[in-house]
Amino acid sequence: MSAAESSGRARKVRLSDREGFLAWAMLLPSVVYIVALVGVPFLLAIAFAFSDVTTGDPSYHFVGLRNFRAIFHDGVFWQALGNTLLFTAASMALIVVFGKILANILVADFQGKWFVRFLVLLPWTTPVALSSISWLWFLDSIYSPVDWTLRRLGLLHGNVIWLGHSGTAMLSVVFVQAWRLTPLAAVIVMAGLVAIPRDLDEAARVDGAGYWRRMFEVTIPLTLPVIAVAALFGAIMTFTDMTVPYVLTRGGPTHATDVLASWAYFRGIEGGDVGQGAAIALFLFPILLAAAIAVLRAVRRLGLR
Amino acid sequence: MADGISRRGFLGTAAVAGGLAAAGAASGCASDTSGPKAKPSGQGPAEVFTTPTRKLKGSLTILMWSHFVPRHDTWFDKFAADWGKRVGVSVRVDHINTVDVPRRAASEIQSGHGHDLIQHIAPLSQYEPSVLDMADVAQEATRRWGQQLELCRKSSYNPNTRKFYAYCPGWAPDPGDYRKSMWQKVGLPNGPGSYDDLLRGAAEIKRTTGIPCGIGLSPETDTNMAMRALMWSFGASEQDADERVVINSDAAVAAVDFMARLWKQAETSEVFSWTPASNNQALIAGRSSYILNSISAWRTAQATNAAIGDDIFFVPALRGPKAALAAQHVIQQWIIPKYSPNADAAKEFLLHYTANFASASYYSKLYDFPGWPSLVPQLDGWLDKDPWGARPANKLALLKTAVSWSANIGYPGPSNPAVGEIFNTNVLPTMFARAARGQVTAKQAVAEASGQVNAVFANWRARKLVGG
Repeated sequence: MSAAESSGRARKVRLSDREGFLAWAMLLPSVVYIVALVGVPFLLAIAFAFSDVTTGDPSYHFVGLRNFRAIFHDGVFWQALGNTLLFTAASMALIVVFGKILANILVADFQGKWFVRFLVLLPWTTPVALSSISWLWFLDSIYSPVDWTLRRLGLLHGNVIWLGHSGTAMLSVVFVQAWRLTPLAAVIVMAGLVAIPRDLDEAARVDGAGYWRRMFEVTIPLTLPVIAVAALFGAIMTFTDMTVPYVLTRGGPTHATDVLASWAYFRGIEGGDVGQGAAIALFLFPILLAAAIAVLRAVRRLGLR
Repeated sequence: MADGISRRGFLGTAAVAGGLAAAGAASGCASDTSGPKAKPSGQGPAEVFTTPTRKLKGSLTILMWSHFVPRHDTWFDKFAADWGKRVGVSVRVDHINTVDVPRRAASEIQSGHGHDLIQHIAPLSQYEPSVLDMADVAQEATRRWGQQLELCRKSSYNPNTRKFYAYCPGWAPDPGDYRKSMWQKVGLPNGPGSYDDLLRGAAEIKRTTGIPCGIGLSPETDTNMAMRALMWSFGASEQDADERVVINSDAAVAAVDFMARLWKQAETSEVFSWTPASNNQALIAGRSSYILNSISAWRTAQATNAAIGDDIFFVPALRGPKAALAAQHVIQQWIIPKYSPNADAAKEFLLHYTANFASASYYSKLYDFPGWPSLVPQLDGWLDKDPWGARPANKLALLKTAVSWSANIGYPGPSNPAVGEIFNTNVLPTMFARAARGQVTAKQAVAEASGQVNAVFANWRARKLVGG
């Protein structure tokens, strides 16, 4: 073996032994991914929000706060903001409640448990556009199988026309969003449930605590940080999502289900005014930043327990 | 897995099925499902070839919609490939769902890479700064085939910049589609002729049979077309011929008020939830007495439910207090982005395509009409005796006069980017729907919309793409 070969091998051994190098080497793909697909678009959005860029004219001219002034004078923007908050809060509440119930079912022992787990996770694994289109058909004004079933059960005459009234349209988008994100919340909460030491539950049983008392005084307090994480993940993913409202209602009727993300898309891409679209989308940032800080704090608390 | 379906096979099949279903749901009007099964009664027109004025080489990539009549695409792809072989250019045609074309065009133009030739079926005026001026192609076409239709010119020419931002060789009319058996019972066997007829007849049909009228009031393309037709027929419009905003008018209030009455008396809330395909589905399902659409809904019924297909008939634009006008249903827009290295081939191909527009009309089952009428001298004959099996054979004869009752989006002005943004952000459907629901009065709805329209116009005027 030559001196050069042995020196080369020694260098390789030294590199692979260095934790700092390894850590960066393994983190690098994620860092590149996040910078390329999140960081750069985010910076572009900030730049576009202060520009007159359109879909047909990529040349950049700085216009200061003109786009922000324009969107603040637009009534649809404020309606979309209100809809976004309602859509997020209602979806989050349903996601947390159903996520907790599902998690309890998933940790229980029963025959066919794996099949039930598969079914429960299906909404999360189905591409959102595809599942939303399925719901569009379920809620169709003429052919809705939901209405058909209700009619067969004698609970309904005629059709509900779910997506044709402001109230039922919002109810529908909230329900579909909750249906889609509940499995994620359930899996997160399930991870918290299986981490609870069995002896705590058994001690409570020995002391005579019933199911509900153990649920509210042992299980929920111990899984609260995890539930908070699930809730905040759900909130962030709902706040930034436009697929469900876009596919089901295209923001209608009369903007009753337009959310900030969908209105940014309509204005920026379909309408052609990229600057205003970016300004609307950027309005999500401060709220999302606060939510992200809350998620990180919850995770930290979880780690300290 | 030795037998049955493998996991990969199952997932693949499910993905393909889902993709097809999604594409079907997302597409605008109903696709004609008769496809290649339907046999024409005659032969397609003979095609012509003119040697290009310059030597061509290299490649040509085309991005265009998947036509609502699939047979058209089968013809077009072979037609383009044959031309490429004759002139020494390698041609590739990519068809995508029509609703995806603007997004794809935007991303290709922003990145400066993509197809040499992009086609869409609604005005692409906002792309003017990034596309080639098509004046030379339009002028050559006019030299060869005479005057271009005004609605095609107004949908491709910007009078402020004096630039052809697109080339427009074809369009499709938007007649009223009605169920004859239903309208016969209310004393109007030939369908409604005016908006008053529509209100009276459709309300009576709904009262006696429970079947509503199917003019949409939701944020989608067909509602946008229908609301413009209604406004023009009442003497209102978004802009005047000089691109000044004039929407806030008594005529617009009257149009909004009429639609609110039509909805209350003859429609249901389902029209607030409709997608572009919904009115077609409702008509074919026997759940609508009248819709405003192209002939594609009927062509679908011809193949899938002949009894209903034979009962669907057409009327021209309905008469209002001031006019009888309908929007064009489809307007062909061909653009060549500035980044294209094959602009010469693209322009030569467009002239070759235009020269053979008779084939485009024929293989689209009379969906596509020519922007230069002299190109398809057979058209009136086909409309009198449909080569694709209409019963009666002259069912489409009323379309012979379609040019006289059709207008471009933006009428009486041009299809400028401000009108495009108003169209795509659904300002007019929302104006009509809010009044119909009773959320605001007709006058308030028009005033609200006027504020939005003015803001959009001011924005595009600042870019010097809109006059007024």
